[in-house]
Amino acid sequence: MSASATTTGAVTSAKGRAQRARWLNLGSFLALLAIWFVLTTPLFGQPLIKPLFLPSPASVGETFMTLLKNGYQGKSLLFHIGISLFRFGLAFVLSLLVAVPLGLWMGMNESVKAVLDPPIEITRPMPKLALLPLLIIWFGIGEVSKILIIVLALFPILSISAMQAVRGVGARKIQAALALGASRTTIFRRVIFPASLPGIFTSIRVSIGLGVTMLVGAELIATTSGIAFMAMSASDFLLTNVVIVGVLIMALIGYVLDLLARAVENRVVHWGGKEG
Amino acid sequence: MTVPAPASAAATPAAKARFEGVSKCFGSGPDAVQALDPLTLDLAENAFLCLVGPSGCGKSTLLNLLAGFDVPTTGRVLMDGRPVTGPDPKRGVVFQQGALFTWMNVTENVAFGPRATGKSAAEATRVAARYIEMVGLGGFAKRYPYELSGGMQQRVGIARALANDPEILLMDEPFAALDAQTRELLQEEIKRIWQETRKTVLWITHSIEEALFLATEVVVMSARPGRIKARFQPQFAMSKDSGVVTSAEFVRMKAEIFGLLREEALTAQQQEAAR
Repeated sequence: MSASATTTGAVTSAKGRAQRARWLNLGSFLALLAIWFVLTTPLFGQPLIKPLFLPSPASVGETFMTLLKNGYQGKSLLFHIGISLFRFGLAFVLSLLVAVPLGLWMGMNESVKAVLDPPIEITRPMPKLALLPLLIIWFGIGEVSKILIIVLALFPILSISAMQAVRGVGARKIQAALALGASRTTIFRRVIFPASLPGIFTSIRVSIGLGVTMLVGAELIATTSGIAFMAMSASDFLLTNVVIVGVLIMALIGYVLDLLARAVENRVVHWGGKEG
Repeated sequence: MTVPAPASAAATPAAKARFEGVSKCFGSGPDAVQALDPLTLDLAENAFLCLVGPSGCGKSTLLNLLAGFDVPTTGRVLMDGRPVTGPDPKRGVVFQQGALFTWMNVTENVAFGPRATGKSAAEATRVAARYIEMVGLGGFAKRYPYELSGGMQQRVGIARALANDPEILLMDEPFAALDAQTRELLQEEIKRIWQETRKTVLWITHSIEEALFLATEVVVMSARPGRIKARFQPQFAMSKDSGVVTSAEFVRMKAEIFGLLREEALTAQQQEAAR
């Protein structure tokens, strides 16, 4: 691709290397698209892969436009995307608001850690999706069980990371604050909490990936809306185009959320892992 | 308790701080490590006392005890005749590295102490500006620690400790991680600051030259368990001439302390090997 042009000369500067990496990224993306195109376009009579299994990029694009105009099963495409984002967003914010403070508290207080450690550690290795049938019995197939299953998955990651972040705060920083006359509250607010933020943000990014996965899992079962539901039910009718539109939208959602989290992280935790 | 030291360790009325029969043992049972044998040491008002000794001799332990980060196994640590019960803004601490608040810029780091001890934000910032200027970082007030060199970071640490106007400054090998040139510059600077403020200083270092250059009193400690091996009163602390390091007196004292430390370093090495 066009990237090969830059490899002829020695690229020495960091800026040059970054630029080269960007070209390679673009090249690799375009190559994938080209492979998809070649495999699905009837260049010599028959396409190499039948549209039933893999429709061409152009027909997927058409399907996307149709879905945008007509919606899917009586609901607009934006509604399906919106309800998925709502489920994820509410579950994510709930987890964040409960798990992170609790994790910070566990990090600060040995007794709290001793009480909360067993339930979290015992349930941590359990695949949370396995609890969905039980949650459906308890809370029905409405929004509650879907949101709850995501919360259950994110909770241990966020709380344990926050706890470990607190416990990893350098003893010297705390001693320095003590020697400067800081009270316990000041030390928490201005030293321990900010020092824990890099660790917390790492777990936030991990939990976005996992949260989207759980969302898809929850929407595959017993629901009539959401972007994963759209893909799943389209699969029943062998509407491969719709399935692919759904998959691509889910991928895009995950990607954009991660970009968003990274942008917020770079703003808030500008010092990153850098020591000083 | 015996203190085989040339100079007497008797309490003087002017003692700002005092280690009184202080010992420290870490751990318990067969794994216990006696870091410090009972020792008595006075830190005179306005003195600049340097502790030198081999690694693991308990220098830092002594400093942590006076800072209030740790409690002695036996004996008492006193400041102005009153026992030390915990950290206190009257005793400022400067660490070797890694103690700056990375998420705060230079001003916020230095203003932390004044703010924590009850000054208004505006007043704390004003105080911070003064000390940032004093350590020569006037143009870097808005920078973050990771944007500064190691030497500049240590200047921030010193300004931060000074900003509370502490009565005692405790410095735990503050320049150990710096390159030789930066270290020399900072030594001259700390000397100027000490001559200006006459704070009581307890300074830990591995460098004999640094100790002789800065201190009014050098205490040589033995290998673990730490005891006081010798004391010196160099006369170079008030000098404004950086050339003192080549004077005959300086060179003689340096050789003497070097000899003492060499023995102790060998002992310390044997201890390491025996473990």
